[in-house]
Amino acid sequence: MRKILRINMMDRSFQFEDVPKAYHDLGGRGLTSTIVSNEVKPTVHPLGPHNKIVFAPGIVTGTAASTSGRVSVGAKSPLTGTIKESNAGSQFPQDLARMGIKAIIIEGYQQDDKYWLIHIKWDEKAKAPKVAFFPADEYLDRGLYEVFPEIFARFGNKVSISGIGIAGERRYLNSGVVFNDTDGRPSRYSGRGGLGAVLGSKGVKFIVTDRTGAPAVPLQDKGIFEQGRKKLVDALRNHPITKPGGGLNTLGTAVLVNIINEAGGLPTHNFREGRFEGAAKISGEAMAQLVKERGGGRMGHPCHPGCIIQCSNIIPKPDGSELVSVIEYETTWAFGANCGIDSLDTIGELTRMTNDFGMDTIEMGGTIAIAMEAGLAEFGDGQKAIELMKEVGKGTPLGRLLGNGATLAGKALGVIRVPSVKGQNMPAYEPRAIKGIGVTYATSTMGADHTSGYTIAPENLASGGQSDPLSLEGKADLSRTFQEATAFIDSTGHCLFIAFAILDIPTGFEGVMEECNGVLGTNWTVDDAIRIGTEILKIERAFNESAGFTKADDRLPEFMYYEKLPPHNVAFDIPDEELDSVYGKM
Amino acid sequence: MQDGLLLQEGVIMMIDVWLYGEIASYSGNTDAGAYAHLEMEMTPGSTMRDVLSRLCIPAAERGPTFINSALSAMSGLQPDLGHVLADNDRIGIFSAVSMWPYQYRFGAKMTPELAAALKKLPGGGLHHAYDAEG
Ligand code: SF4
Repeated sequence: MRKILRINMMDRSFQFEDVPKAYHDLGGRGLTSTIVSNEVKPTVHPLGPHNKIVFAPGIVTGTAASTSGRVSVGAKSPLTGTIKESNAGSQFPQDLARMGIKAIIIEGYQQDDKYWLIHIKWDEKAKAPKVAFFPADEYLDRGLYEVFPEIFARFGNKVSISGIGIAGERRYLNSGVVFNDTDGRPSRYSGRGGLGAVLGSKGVKFIVTDRTGAPAVPLQDKGIFEQGRKKLVDALRNHPITKPGGGLNTLGTAVLVNIINEAGGLPTHNFREGRFEGAAKISGEAMAQLVKERGGGRMGHPCHPGCIIQCSNIIPKPDGSELVSVIEYETTWAFGANCGIDSLDTIGELTRMTNDFGMDTIEMGGTIAIAMEAGLAEFGDGQKAIELMKEVGKGTPLGRLLGNGATLAGKALGVIRVPSVKGQNMPAYEPRAIKGIGVTYATSTMGADHTSGYTIAPENLASGGQSDPLSLEGKADLSRTFQEATAFIDSTGHCLFIAFAILDIPTGFEGVMEECNGVLGTNWTVDDAIRIGTEILKIERAFNESAGFTKADDRLPEFMYYEKLPPHNVAFDIPDEELDSVYGKM
Repeated sequence: MQDGLLLQEGVIMMIDVWLYGEIASYSGNTDAGAYAHLEMEMTPGSTMRDVLSRLCIPAAERGPTFINSALSAMSGLQPDLGHVLADNDRIGIFSAVSMWPYQYRFGAKMTPELAAALKKLPGGGLHHAYDAEG
């Protein structure tokens, strides 16, 4: 029997609750957004006593389904003020699922400035998870690279860790929820939206899971599940993007650096240009070359056990020792092109610091670019960028300002050109050059977010299949359908990158539905994916509306409408009515 | 001086060529590393096919290709071979292992030839990989 674990940090009480019928078929983002919407008043202060933070594994997480070790973390976001779901890959949600925990809801408020480590361990005798609280004082105000090994040493190296770094302790608006990777690094993040500050506001420093001895996730229909699992594995193993030796596996997500740069859509110098001179030096191709030449690192690394795609990497220092894992596309862009820095060693150092403090690399790079725009450093000055990061770590007044993200830093420093939507800094795709992404940035329920618009086989998309992808109107229809598909995939527990394969291979998509049916006992067909995604988006939109968001918030920053971006020399020109039609038609 | 004269008379044109990933080894430098950047002299009227054949790049070995920041070809969909190039054009050619998934591409600039070719495909080419031709 799956249960919901509810923890109240006022008195560290907890209970295992039966899963309400309405939550039975939900998982991942669908579950976190539904719980937040049902239990959190949209007008609460995100860091106050009445916000709640929810952790949920996806529907098939913890089973043998490939590439499905994803966790959704949801709350009202202190960065955006919207509802937020931020997704990461780790063994942590696999542990929760195996122990029968469908979600953890953490409520209440920190008492006496104390922080706690919540330990959730499978109890063989009771055949249920056991919860204990340990004081976490010894881990405070320290880097996560130093602390993680101590926790593994204390609780065993099979455990999984989630929690916050100093950023969450200080309630930085840029603070992520960290998870360990397959080698125990503090490198996988539900990074976006400042959810680390929410966890910190409850007085939670870490959650440690130990599933030793826990049974397998029960299946309602093993045959259907197995059939679906195989179909998806086939699709992943055969698609050029996801297969072993394919684009993501060989070059990582940074495979996109040179591509987007050639397309004139790589935001450079805080979104002043669409092409960066040094792009080739910070690209996936350059990382692969570095790994080859220096030895010691690795391309094709998994963020959690069971990922077939393996898009992560370990980047070596010149002497072959480890610099950092992972440098994603968005990370190498954020510290690289966006700050004018063309050295992977500097980018790696900045990434490591960001992981160490418990922050989101996209927002951090975007904030350093704002500081550069304000004249605190020259674009391209990597040394100065590292010094600014040190301030963030020390928590000096300047460091605190920068730790609160690009929007706040922009206001404090008098910068007009702040590329954010709903307070969240845009990631690595210029909406003036790639306009479809601009539609998604503007209208996503999460603020500017590149992971809001993934799609699945168009044969199955009623609206997307009919609209002309090249027309203006087509972009609005597609963006909506993409956002719906994304909300569904984020609920399954699969990594969004499976969307690359199942867009082209419809049997892979069928496989995902069959896996879900096998776990839940449902009879979903591919049509249900969009229905479920639509329901999730409606819940999220309704929350945001009640929190005070209107269609005026579904816009890109003004400078993108009047400042032309080289090399295409275009401004963002999708009319407001078109943006409004994205959800007008839902 | 000689070059200048030739350029003036329209006898040659310069093409700015960027090769990424394994395809960089076709630059003539077998130790090219992650990318290669070449300034190629071509005769006016030269096409993408001419550039590829000068570099000895088999068309099927390339992935996404750009002409002046507009996407002109992808693996399995190469309507740009006859594209006539102009002086100072910039070309970017990627290895087939590279990728540009649809969701990060919709609404980006394409050459008219590629836009027309995608239009002919079912669903308007809303895919990541194509197998429309060799
Ligand atoms: S594809 Fe990459 S991000 Fe997705 S689950 Fe695998 S390693 Fe993690």
